[in-house]
Amino acid sequence: MNKNGLKYGVLVLLLAVVAYNSVYFRKLDEKKASAATTKFDAAAYADAFWKTKLLPDSGKAIELNMLIQELKTDKDKAFEAHSHALSIGNLRYFLVRGTGKITAIGDHDVTVLLANGPEVTIATEYVFGNAARDASGQIRLTDFDNTMDLNNVSSEINKIIRNRVVAPFKASAKTGQEVSFIGAIELNREHLHTDAIEVIPIHI
Amino acid sequence: MQISLQTYRPALLKFQSLIALLILCLTIGLLSDKFFTVANGWNVLRQISVNVCISVGMTLVVLTAGIDLSVGSVLALSGAIAAGLLRNGIELPASNLYIGFTVFGAIVAGLLTGSVLGWFNGWAITRFKLPPFVATLAMLTIARGLTMLWTEGFPITGLGDSFTFLGTGWLLGIPLPVWISGGIVLVVVLLMDQTRFGRYVYAIGGSESAARLSGVNINRIKMLVYTMAGGLAAVGGLLVTSRLDSAQPNAGTSYELDSIAAVVIGGTSLSGGRGSILGTVQGAVIIGVLNNGLVLLNVSPFWQQVVKGIVILLAVIIDKSSSRND
Repeated sequence: MNKNGLKYGVLVLLLAVVAYNSVYFRKLDEKKASAATTKFDAAAYADAFWKTKLLPDSGKAIELNMLIQELKTDKDKAFEAHSHALSIGNLRYFLVRGTGKITAIGDHDVTVLLANGPEVTIATEYVFGNAARDASGQIRLTDFDNTMDLNNVSSEINKIIRNRVVAPFKASAKTGQEVSFIGAIELNREHLHTDAIEVIPIHI
Repeated sequence: MQISLQTYRPALLKFQSLIALLILCLTIGLLSDKFFTVANGWNVLRQISVNVCISVGMTLVVLTAGIDLSVGSVLALSGAIAAGLLRNGIELPASNLYIGFTVFGAIVAGLLTGSVLGWFNGWAITRFKLPPFVATLAMLTIARGLTMLWTEGFPITGLGDSFTFLGTGWLLGIPLPVWISGGIVLVVVLLMDQTRFGRYVYAIGGSESAARLSGVNINRIKMLVYTMAGGLAAVGGLLVTSRLDSAQPNAGTSYELDSIAAVVIGGTSLSGGRGSILGTVQGAVIIGVLNNGLVLLNVSPFWQQVVKGIVILLAVIIDKSSSRND
C-alpha cells in the first residue's frame, strides 16, 4: 500500500469511528410511541399541584397587613422568611391572605380595602406570570427536564385560577361586600412598592 | 542617579495590558468586597472562557488584516444545531427512520457547523475578493436567520446532564470551560510560534503582496484561518449552550464586539501582522473583569456599555501612539 492509500485508509477509519459513536438508528414509529408515553402533561401536573400542594399550603399564607408591616420594619428579613422564587433576580413571590371590603369593581380587577390596611387589587382579567406557581415554594426547578415544561405548568395553573377562582368571584362580587382571600403577590426586592399590590387569587 | 519614565517605557509598553488588568482588579477589589473571592474568581474565568475561544479565532483573522463579524451568529447556530440534534435527532418519515445523536455526535455536528460556516467566509473572501467586513457581515445575518429557522424562534432546552457537564462541570478542581479554553490557547500559541502556518499568518498580515511573492499560498492560509475562527466560535457556542442547558436563538448577539475588543485591547493591530494570542487572552480577561466589576458595583447596564466603549477607545489610542513611537 502506498503512502497516500495508508493516509486515506486511516482517515476513513477515523470517520467511521466518529460516525459510529455519533449516531444511532431507530424506527420512527417506535420512537414516536415511546415519546408519547413519556411526554410531560402540564395540565395534569398543574391540577395535581393545585389540589395536593397549593390549596393545602394556603393555610401557611401570611396576613397581608402583617407582611407589609414586616417589610417596612426589616425588608430583607421579611423577604427571607416569606418569599419564594425559582429564578435568580429581585422578583420574589409571597403567599398572602387578607380580609376586606370591595370598594370598586373594574374591568381588569377588583379593589379591596383591607381591614386596618391599604387597598389592594385582585386580578380578574390578566392572570399571568409565575406568582401562583412560585409563591408556595413547593415546585423545584430540578423537577423538570426543561424550562418549557415549567412555563407550561405556570400557564396551566393560571388557567385553573381563571376558571375555578376568578369566574365565580367575578359573577358574585358586589361593591361593599366583605371578602376573604388567599393569593399570590409579586414584589421586587430592590425596588419595593407596597402601595399598589396586585393579588393573583387562589381562594376567595 | 536619575531615573525617568523613559527608562521604563519599553517595559511599560510590553506589559501595558497586564498593568491595566492589575489596576482594574485592585480598583474593583477596593470598591467591592465580593471581587476577591474564590467563587467570583471561578465565575469570571468561566465567563471569559467563551470569549477566549472566540477571540483566539478572531486574533488569527485580524492578524491576516481581516475581520470576522459573524462569530456571534456562528456561535448561536452551532449551539442550536448541536442542541437540536441532541434533543430531537433527525426524522425521516419516508423511510420510517429516526437518526438519534449522542452527546459526542451533537458536539461533532456543532463543531462541523461552525467550521463549515467559517470555511464559507474564507471561500467568499478569497474566491470573490470580497472585503472580509462585507462577507462576514453577510454571514452574520445568514447564520442568525438560519438559527431562527432551525429553532423556530424558541429555545431548545433539556439537553441532559452529560451535555451540560461541558459548560458546568469541574475537572481537578477547575471548571471544565477553563480547561477547554486553556487547551485551545495552548494549541494555537504553539501553532503560531512553532509552525510555518503561524509565520505565514503574520506574513500575510504584514504585507500580503510580499507574502505572495515569497510563495505563500495566501488563499489557502486565509481559508484555514476563517475555518478555524468558525470552529472556535462553535466551541464557544457549545460552551454557552451547555452552560445554560439551552440553545437560545439570540445567543451570541454582539459577541463579535467583545471578541474584537479583546483582540484590540490585547495589542493586536487591526491592520494585521502584529499581535499575539496571549495578548488577546489578557484582553479577554480585562473585558471579563470589567464586566464582572461593573455588575458587582451595581452599575447600570446602559453605563456598562459606555464604559466598555471608552476602554476600547483608550486601548486603541494607546496602541496607536505606542506603535507610532516604536
